[in-house]
Amino acid sequence: MPSGVPILETREINKTFGRVIANKSISVRLFQGEIVAILGENGAGKTTLMNMLFGLYRPDSGQILIDGVLVQLDSPRAAIARGLGMVHQHFMLVPTLTVTQNVILGEEPVRWGHVQYGKARRSVADLSRRYGLAVDPDARLENLSVGLQQRVEILKALYRRARILILDEPTAVLTPAEVEELFAVLKRLAESGTSIIIITHKLEEVKRLSGRVYVLRRGELAGERRTEVTGAAELANLMVGRDVVLEVRRPASRPSAQPILRAENLRARSLRGVAALRDVSLSVGHGEIVGVAGVEGNGQRELCEVVSGLAQPDSGSILFKGNDVTRWSVRRRLDAGMGYVPQDRRGEGLILPFTVAENLALGRSDVPPLSRGGLLDPAAMRARGKGLMEAYDIRAEGPDALASTLSGGNQQKVVLAREFSRSPAFLLISQPTRGLDVGAIEFIYRRILGLREEGAAILLVSMELDELFALSDRIAVLQRGEVVFESAASATNDAEVGAHMIGGRAERSAS
Amino acid sequence: MSRLLADLFTPQLLGATVRLAAPVSLGALASVVCERSGVTNIAMEGVMLVGAFCAAWAAWLTGSPWLGLLGGAAGGVLFSLLFAWAAVSLHMNHVVAGAIMNILSFGITRYLMVVVYGHQGTSPSIAHSLQDYRLAIPFLSRVPFIGPALFDQTPIVYLSLLAAVLWAWIYARTRLGLSMIASGEHPMALETLGRSVLRVRYTAILLAGVLCGAAGAFLSIENADSFTEGMTGGRGFIALAANIAGGWRPVGALLASLFFGFVDAFQLRAQSLGIIRLPSEVFLVFPYVATILAVAGFVRKSRPPAAVGKDFTVEGNGE
Amino acid sequence: MKLSPAPRILVIAAIALGAPAALLCLASYFWGLWFLLLSLVLIVIERRLSLGAQAFTAAVRRALARAAIPVGGIASALLFGALIMALTGYDPIVSYKALFYGGLVRNWNVSVLNATPLIFTGLAVAFAFQGGLFNIGAEGQYYIGVMAATWLGLRLDLPPLVAIPVIYAAGAAMGAALNGIPALLKVRTGAHEVITTMMCAYAVRTLAPMFIRANGGDPAVTTHPGATDQVSQQVWLPLFKDFLPAANYRLHIGIIIAIACAFLVRFILMKTSLGYKIRAVGHNKVAARTAGISVGKITVASLLISGMLAALSGVTQDLGLDHRMFQDLNAGYGWNGISIALLARNNPLLIIFTALLWGVLDAGGQFMARTAQTPNAIIEIVKGTVLFLLLAEVIYEKIGGWLGRLLLRRFTRGRTGADA
Repeated sequence: MPSGVPILETREINKTFGRVIANKSISVRLFQGEIVAILGENGAGKTTLMNMLFGLYRPDSGQILIDGVLVQLDSPRAAIARGLGMVHQHFMLVPTLTVTQNVILGEEPVRWGHVQYGKARRSVADLSRRYGLAVDPDARLENLSVGLQQRVEILKALYRRARILILDEPTAVLTPAEVEELFAVLKRLAESGTSIIIITHKLEEVKRLSGRVYVLRRGELAGERRTEVTGAAELANLMVGRDVVLEVRRPASRPSAQPILRAENLRARSLRGVAALRDVSLSVGHGEIVGVAGVEGNGQRELCEVVSGLAQPDSGSILFKGNDVTRWSVRRRLDAGMGYVPQDRRGEGLILPFTVAENLALGRSDVPPLSRGGLLDPAAMRARGKGLMEAYDIRAEGPDALASTLSGGNQQKVVLAREFSRSPAFLLISQPTRGLDVGAIEFIYRRILGLREEGAAILLVSMELDELFALSDRIAVLQRGEVVFESAASATNDAEVGAHMIGGRAERSAS
Repeated sequence: MSRLLADLFTPQLLGATVRLAAPVSLGALASVVCERSGVTNIAMEGVMLVGAFCAAWAAWLTGSPWLGLLGGAAGGVLFSLLFAWAAVSLHMNHVVAGAIMNILSFGITRYLMVVVYGHQGTSPSIAHSLQDYRLAIPFLSRVPFIGPALFDQTPIVYLSLLAAVLWAWIYARTRLGLSMIASGEHPMALETLGRSVLRVRYTAILLAGVLCGAAGAFLSIENADSFTEGMTGGRGFIALAANIAGGWRPVGALLASLFFGFVDAFQLRAQSLGIIRLPSEVFLVFPYVATILAVAGFVRKSRPPAAVGKDFTVEGNGE
Repeated sequence: MKLSPAPRILVIAAIALGAPAALLCLASYFWGLWFLLLSLVLIVIERRLSLGAQAFTAAVRRALARAAIPVGGIASALLFGALIMALTGYDPIVSYKALFYGGLVRNWNVSVLNATPLIFTGLAVAFAFQGGLFNIGAEGQYYIGVMAATWLGLRLDLPPLVAIPVIYAAGAAMGAALNGIPALLKVRTGAHEVITTMMCAYAVRTLAPMFIRANGGDPAVTTHPGATDQVSQQVWLPLFKDFLPAANYRLHIGIIIAIACAFLVRFILMKTSLGYKIRAVGHNKVAARTAGISVGKITVASLLISGMLAALSGVTQDLGLDHRMFQDLNAGYGWNGISIALLARNNPLLIIFTALLWGVLDAGGQFMARTAQTPNAIIEIVKGTVLFLLLAEVIYEKIGGWLGRLLLRRFTRGRTGADA
C-alpha cells in the first residue's frame, strides 16, 4: 500500500435507495499516480459509489476526502472543480455536436459573448496530441466509432484538468484493438501523474491495469488486494462468492434433428442506421437451450427485435417450424407459438399501471376465455390471474394488485407466467434475471429448464456468463453483430467465451 | 395569362408575404428555442394573445407604440414564467401545461378587457401604431423586386427577420446556444458538466416569451391599432408547424413562415383580383392545409431534438 | 356476513330512488335533491353494513383523502378569483353569491344545458387521452356534428324515432371521418395529432360560413344571415317538459343521452377487449406492441371514436337547443372539453360531474355578470386556475411534505411533554 495522504478517500460511505442498500460502509483510498480497480458484478454497487464521487448522488452518511480535506460533492460542478473527471459507461456526449463542442461544453472559452471555437479546436487538438488520444476535433460525434467517442469522454475530463479520472466499465463497448489503445493511454496518464479509478467486472482489466483492487459484492467491500500478488481465482471468488450455492441440475439434452427455429443470414441496422447484425445465423432445436453471449451493444437488441417481430431485418430470414415467419406480425408469431420475454420487464414487458391480472392477459385479451364477442370477462381474467399467481408463486396482494407494486422478481414472474402459459414451442428470453435476488433467480432458472423439458426451443440472450453456463446446451457469442464463436456448453468455459465476448479473435480484421 | 401572373405576383405580394409572415415567424422562432432546449411548447398562441393585449394596453396608456412593444414583450415573458414553472419545475406534462396556458390566456385577456376598458370585444384604437414607423432602408430598398419586400417594412417585421439571424448566430457561436442544444439532445450530459438544465430551459421559455410577445404586439399595434379578442387566429399553431417544417432551425423556421405568409398573401391578392370564382373561405383554409402537409412530412423529413418533451429530473439527491 | 339480504335490498332501493331522483334534479325539481340524498344515505348504510366498522372508516378516510385535493383545488381557485376581483375593484362576496345562486338555484337548467355538450367533448378528449393521444381539435369535430345535424335536419322527412338516431349516426360518422385524417397521418407519418387535429378544427371553422350560406344563411337572400334555417321540428330532441310539466321549457333530454354516453364510454373502456387494448397502448405503447397488440390500429380506433363523441356533442346541441347552425360560434367546447377531461382524470363518470361544475360556473357567471356587473371572464380565470392547481401534482407533495413536517413537530412536541 503506497503511503502518504491519499488523493481521494471515502470513509464509511452508505447509500440506500428505498428498500435497496446500494452501498454499505465503503472505504476506499486512491493515491496519486496509481490505478486502482473497483471490481464487482452487475448490481454490486459500483456505479452508485462512482455517482457519489461525481456529485450526482449524495451519500446518506460517510465522508469523502480529497487531498486529506473533507469535501461536500453536491453537484458535478463541485466534483469537477476539485479535479475529478468521470468517463461514464453510457457516454455523456451530445451526438449532434462536434468533438470540440462536446469537450468544451460547460467551460467554453468566451470573448465578447461568443465562443472562441478556433482556440477551442486548438486546445482539443493539443490535448489529444499530448495524451495520444487522436481524434478529429471537427467530427460530429454521432459519426464516430464507440472507441473514438470514449476518447472524447476522456478528453473532456482532461480539458478540465482532472487529476482523478474515474472510468466506469470502459471496455464494455470496445473492440480488442481499442481496448489495447485505451490501456496504453491510461498507463501514460498514470505515469504523468493522473490518478485513476477503473470500475469493471472484467478480471483481465484488473490484472493488466491496476496496482490495487477493491472488490465490491452486494454493496459491501468484500476485500482489498494488491493485484500483482493475487490470483484470478481468488479475485473471482471474492467477487462472486455466494452464500447460497446455485445448484442447477440440468438433465442432458436430447438433440433433435429438425431445428424449431432457424435464423438465416440476418442483416439489420440499429435505430441510428449503423449495421447491428451482420449475417447472423442461428438455430435452436427441440428441447434445447441456445445461449447468446455478448456484451450489451453488440446486436442483441436487434436480434431480439427481429426474432420477435418488432422489427424487420434488412435481409435474411427466420424460419419457425419450417415456416418463413420473417414478415409475420408480432401477434401472429405469438399465436403460432413463438414467445418473447423482453429484457426490460418494466418498460417492455409489463404495463405498470395495469393490475397483475390485466398484465397476464396481454396478448390474449380478445380471445376466449377472456373475452367473447369483443366483451371482456373481468371475472375470468381475475380467475386466470389467481391461477397463474399460484402456479408461478407470484407474491402480491391479489390479481387486482397493480403491477407497479410488485418487487422485481415478482414482476419478472408475471412476464414469465404470461409467456410460459401459452406453452410456446419457441421462447426468446433476454436478460431474465437482471437485478433479481437469488431466490427469484433460482425459481426462474427452474422454470426455464422445465420448459426445456417440455420440448420447447429456447433462445437465451444474456450478459451473465454464470447464467449462460447454468442453462445453455449450446453457447454462441455475438460480437459486433456477428456470431464469432459457437460451441456446446460442455466443450467450453468462462474464459474462452469471455475472451470472445470482448473480441478475442485478434486475427480478424476490424470491420 | 402572363398579364394575370403579372397582376398576381407583384412586389407588393412579396412585401405582404414578409409582413404577414412576421408573427408566425416570431412564434416559430419561439417554438424552435423551446423545443431545441427540450421543452414542447404549444402555448405560443396564448402567449401571443397576452402579448397582443399587453402591447395595446401599454400603447394606449402611454401613447407610445414603442412602449407598447416593450409592454407586449414584458407581458409575454411574465405569462411564460407560469408555463416555465409548470413545465420545468413542477414537471407537468408539457403539452398539458401548454393547453392550460392557452385556456388561461383567453380568460385573462377577456377579463382584463373589461377591467381596463369597460367592455368586451375590441379595445379602443391607439393614436399611433407602429405602422407609422415604417422605415425604408435607403439603398437596399431600391433593389428590384425584393428590395421593397425586405427593406421597406415596419419595425416588428424587421425584428422578425433579424431575430432569425440572431438566433442562428446564438446557436452557432454562443455558450447559451450550445447549452440549449445539449439541453434538448442529452440534458444529462449537460448536467454532469455542471450546468443547470433547469436554468437553461427557463431561459429558453422566457426568451420565447419575448418573441411571442413581440408577435402579439405586431398583431395589435403594428398590423392594426387595437386589440380584438382572439386576434391570434391560430397563428400560434401554424408557428409550431413552421418550426417542424423548418427542421427545428431558426432560418428554416423563417423560410417556412415565409411560405405560410405567402399562402396568406396570395389568397388575399387572388381574392381581390377576383380571378378565381371560389368563395374566400377556400383560400383562407390554405394555411391550415399547408400546415397539415408540413407536419406530415411532405415538406421535409427531419428529426426533432432527442429529449424534447421528456421531463428531466436529477434523481437520487436526498429525495 | 350477518345481514346478507338487507344490504342488497338497500342497494336496490337506493338505485330505485336515486335514478328518478337524479332525473328530477336535472329538470330542476329541487325536492328531487332530497330523494337523491336519501338514496345516498342508503348506499352509505349499505357500505357500512357490508364492510364492517373498521374497513368502513378506512374507506371513508380514503375517500376523504382523495377528495381533499380536488375540493381543495377548487376552493383555492375560487379564493384566488376572489383576490383578483378584489384587486380590480369588484366585490367578491356579492359576485360569488350571484354566481352560486345563479348557477345552482335560479338558472340550474342553464347549467345543465351548458353541461350537455361539454360531457360529450370531455368524453371525446378523455377517450383519446386513455389511448395516449391528444385530441385537441374536438372543436372542429363538434362543428362537423352540427353541420351533419343541420344538413340532415333540413332535409330529412322521417318520423322522429327514425330521424333522430339516423342523424346521430351520421354525425358520428362525420366526426370519425374528420378525425380519420389525423389518425392516418399519425400512423403513417408519425405526424403529431396535437397539430393535425387543431388544424382540421381551424379548417372546419373557416369553412363553416360556406356551409351556412348554402343552407339558408346567405346574406344576399335572407333576412337573418349568419345562421342557417331552422331544422324541422320533427328532429328536435324531446324536452323534459314533455313528461315533467314543471320543467324549464328549454331543457331537452340531451343530458340524459350524454350521461348514457358516459356510461357507454366507461363500458367500452373497461369491459371490452378494444377498451382494454386502448388503455394498454395509452399506458405503455412499447409493452403493448411487444405483447402483440397492433398499436397502429388501436391509435386509429381511439381517434375515430374520439371524433365520433365530439361530433355527437354538436348533434345534441343542434337538435336539442339551437336547432340551427350559427356563424359566430366560438363556444370553446373543444378547449373546455380538454379541461373537463383533465380534471376528471379521464374517468368517464367523473366527467359528468366536472362538466356540471363547468356548466354551473358558466351559468352562474352569466347571472353574476347581469346582476353584480362583474365581468364573467373571471370565471375563465377561475377555471384555468382550478386546472392548474389540480394538475400540478408536485405541489401537493411539497405542500404535503411541509404540512406533514409541521404536524409532526406539533405532535412530537406534545408527546415529549406527556412522556416527561
